[in-house]
Amino acid sequence: MTVLDVRDLEVHYGHRRQRRRALAGASLSIDAGEIVGLIGETGSGKSTFARAALGLVRPSAGRIVIDGEDVTGHRERQWRAVRRRGVVQYVFQDPLRSLDPDLTIGDSLMEPLLLKGVPRREAVDRARAYLGRVRLDDELLTRLPEQLSGGQRQRVAVARALITEPRLIILDEPVSALDAATRVQVLEILKDLRTAGIALLFISHDLGSVAGIADRVAVLYRGEVVEVGTAREVVTKPSHPYTRLLIGSAPTLRTAAAGRAERAALRELLHSGKGTPR
Amino acid sequence: MFSLASGRIAVVVLVGVGLLAVFGPLLAPHDPLATSPDTLVGPSGGHWLGTDYLGRDVFSRLLDGSRVSVVGALEVTVMALVVGAIPGILSVYLGRVFEWITLRVADTLVALPFLLFAVAVTALLGNGITQAMFVTGALVSPLFYRVGRAATLAVARSQYVEAALISGASLGWIIRRHVWGKVLPPIAVALAQTLGVGFIIVSSLSFLGIGVQPPAPTWGGLLAADLGYLSYQPWAPFAPALLIMVTVWAGNVLADAIRDVSGGAGRALADSRKAALVGGRA
Amino acid sequence: MTALSESPVETAVDGLVLTVDSVHIRHQVDGREVVKGVGFELAPGRVVGIVGESGSGKTLTCRAVLGILPPLFEVAAGAIHVAGKDVAALSRAELTELRGSTISAVFQDPASYLNPSIPVGPQVAEVIRVKKGAKRREARRRATELLAAVHLRDPELVYTQYPHELSGGMLQRVLIAAAIAAEPRVLIADEATTALDVTVQAEILDLLADLRDSTGLAIVLVSHDLAVVAQLCDEVLVMREGEVVEQGPTEQVLHNPRHDYTRLLVAEHEQYGLDRFLEES
Repeated sequence: MTVLDVRDLEVHYGHRRQRRRALAGASLSIDAGEIVGLIGETGSGKSTFARAALGLVRPSAGRIVIDGEDVTGHRERQWRAVRRRGVVQYVFQDPLRSLDPDLTIGDSLMEPLLLKGVPRREAVDRARAYLGRVRLDDELLTRLPEQLSGGQRQRVAVARALITEPRLIILDEPVSALDAATRVQVLEILKDLRTAGIALLFISHDLGSVAGIADRVAVLYRGEVVEVGTAREVVTKPSHPYTRLLIGSAPTLRTAAAGRAERAALRELLHSGKGTPR
Repeated sequence: MFSLASGRIAVVVLVGVGLLAVFGPLLAPHDPLATSPDTLVGPSGGHWLGTDYLGRDVFSRLLDGSRVSVVGALEVTVMALVVGAIPGILSVYLGRVFEWITLRVADTLVALPFLLFAVAVTALLGNGITQAMFVTGALVSPLFYRVGRAATLAVARSQYVEAALISGASLGWIIRRHVWGKVLPPIAVALAQTLGVGFIIVSSLSFLGIGVQPPAPTWGGLLAADLGYLSYQPWAPFAPALLIMVTVWAGNVLADAIRDVSGGAGRALADSRKAALVGGRA
Repeated sequence: MTALSESPVETAVDGLVLTVDSVHIRHQVDGREVVKGVGFELAPGRVVGIVGESGSGKTLTCRAVLGILPPLFEVAAGAIHVAGKDVAALSRAELTELRGSTISAVFQDPASYLNPSIPVGPQVAEVIRVKKGAKRREARRRATELLAAVHLRDPELVYTQYPHELSGGMLQRVLIAAAIAAEPRVLIADEATTALDVTVQAEILDLLADLRDSTGLAIVLVSHDLAVVAQLCDEVLVMREGEVVEQGPTEQVLHNPRHDYTRLLVAEHEQYGLDRFLEES
């Protein structure tokens, strides 16, 4: 079952002369219970892709279908209805900034439920239950974000995304701001969601940070998905030169996958094809 | 917690000034307008602060003038809030046209030379306290517009507002739940300070003969009159000057205290507000 | 790399350009020890890596080596020798002389180290004029050579560009150019690639390796990522809460880690990183 189906998505920013293409026909579909890594570096369009899937930017061409509903031409009011059902949720990179500093953890957690129209009493129970699900104590409900550690905050952000029982959660570098020990902890929690049938779209600039958790990996380069495949396929048999460079550049504990000379050759190849990917 | 303590003192002072405004005119021992042949006499049992050049009791004039001075300052503040702060908050949300127009109006008001504008408006609308307050309110409103707008912008672009939006929050929900609480402190800071500025403006306008007309007393008017007789009564300006200074000081201290309590965000905005003030009035 | 003239290698008697001998750093007010005994040696053309979370004391160690500890922090015990000179015994003027010409550094956020209102070229040229006493024209020629040496395409154009016109990776290259302008013996790279994209990070690491090979530059590479350090280093120190929990040749630390914390760092890469797939192939 497909929860997100994006076809030939184009997004432009700016007006007239300053009009700039951020996405140039990107396609990607995600099935229920699947973890997909979307890899792209600065300017690849990965954030734009996420924002389009959340209705925060309007596509200029292409089609977006969320959980069977074509949302491409949705107006603000229709989008709000889609969002209130809580089908798609989003987790930001930095939990300190994505939680309102003046609201208690409980209030932040309950917000999506209250917006959905769940009665307050039931919302409190659910908040408590979901805090447990990300392995946090429910005494945190009355705390403020600043009183929590980075790892706790990010788990709260995950709980907030889970609380509406979404079909898809989009995560933007959710563990890159955390230290090693808590990073593993959060990744374990996310991995467990697969069994609940929730699809995850993991957005990152670093293939290395998602290769271990993603079922499939898509590589976004200059606004286009240039490579999709299982994590193993993409890492071991990359077809696009950019993917090869990405893998050759990712720091690993073994000697790097590609040598200095090979990386230099790939950079030259990509540079010479400037403007026209592939 | 030095600022908290001084904030409390400031509140006490301001409450005292407020009480003075309400009850001052009733407490005046003499008719503040009644002249007498005893002109320019020093403080005595009958005239605690002496008399002025027309033999009027200075103490009674100070008490009587407090109401119009305070009311004037309050009018300025309310005006600034209504035509400044509220459009400032809304400028972030009501679309590009509203934003563009209000920004240009604010820029225009900042660019107007204050005294010339005041004279022009009073010439047009007649010389009275309400007209004068309209002028000053209009002139301090850009400050409030910018403070309100800056505070709202900072919140509107934050990730938690975006997170709420992604959960399906409406504009009203976002303003109620996320924006309001964070925009109020910096506006309160600007407000407390404007109270002080309002006093100076009311006083300096009456000093120039705009707004409150003689013989009705205001603190600024008294100060102006006293300065004319410095050679006879060098101590006379102290009483009205002290009242103005203490009130302005209290307003500023209260503003600082609010800023400290409301934390970093308020502080940053207070700084931007100062920058706006310096840039605007320079 | 011919642009960089080879400076004659004059070293301390034992051939080391940097020795850090069980350095302790203490907060002067509360007496808390924030770095508890760090020691390593660095010969020309060698690279030592320091790995640790933020707050592990790795940055303070670097700053102590550079003689720029933040206020209220002091070296409580141990000694630091840069090219044979005891840093503690140097006057402020001598320290300033030492920085840039013998030891220099690049940090995480390159944009904050450049003046936004001056093109980047003259800022590199200024280093050459101050540190090498070069004339204006000579400094400009040399700065352009350096920009080419750090693999910036079209160095003549970059010379005239402002910081906001360049990407993060390009800015870091400019800073590296400025850092090596006076031909230092030691370069400290403190989280210099952390904020960059993966491919750009690899470019910068490759550049550092090139500089090491061509000029015999010794490098202290500091990162929170064990894998970044593994790319380049001969020796690795793993720091945690001010203590060196593991130290040894890179191969040994990666393949035979002794401390639990190092094992965690290695395991994370093996479980979640690319290593999982690369091992099989």
